Amino acid sequence: MSDQQESVNTDNAGEVSAAAAGWGAVFVTTATTVFLAELGDKTQLAALLLSAQSGQPLVVFAGASLALICSSLVGVVLGRWLARLLAPELLERLAGILMVVLGLWLGRQAILTLPNFS
Amino acid sequence: MALPLGLLASTFATVFLAELGDKTQLAIVTISGTSSRPGAVFAGSATALVLASLVGAAAGGSLSSLIPTNLLQLAAAVGFLLIGMQLIIRSLANAGTPPE
Repeated sequence: MSDQQESVNTDNAGEVSAAAAGWGAVFVTTATTVFLAELGDKTQLAALLLSAQSGQPLVVFAGASLALICSSLVGVVLGRWLARLLAPELLERLAGILMVVLGLWLGRQAILTLPNFS
Repeated sequence: MALPLGLLASTFATVFLAELGDKTQLAIVTISGTSSRPGAVFAGSATALVLASLVGAAAGGSLSSLIPTNLLQLAAAVGFLLIGMQLIIRSLANAGTPPE
């Protein structure tokens, strides 16, 4: 495995390549993942229902945006808190397993709701 | 015109409760916990969430006929899998090297 790590930045002891990734790279990765996962999700359904009933879509949009910003802030703070509690290797392994499970579940949902499969 | 605080609050409560423990928030926890840049994670996730709801609100009920949301979700699933496997591989590689 060590020969494959030549291209990976390992000069900082304990710092792995992805943790040392630039601000822009982290921003783009997070934004893309979250945007794709969130499109057509229940948040939008709730927002659409409220805007249809109230006739004030701007207010609904403002409320929904504030809630989404707060929820992502909660997620970030929770992640930093876990990072202080757990060893990096353990956290990475747990997080990796969680992401794989979420990916499988999300993929299964997407495939099951394809028009051809219903 | 009075500010419709009731509608604002009810929208906030509905969306915030719907988001708690959602897959997106779990992903944000994961990315934030394993990255050293919480500011970038927060900015990226907040931007994407607001953008996604803006697209949803603008498209209205016809969103699923405009965009193949299933394919987008499938792409997101692949992204989740890739990030997850990358984290697992990294944790296994780090476990092999002795700590300082």
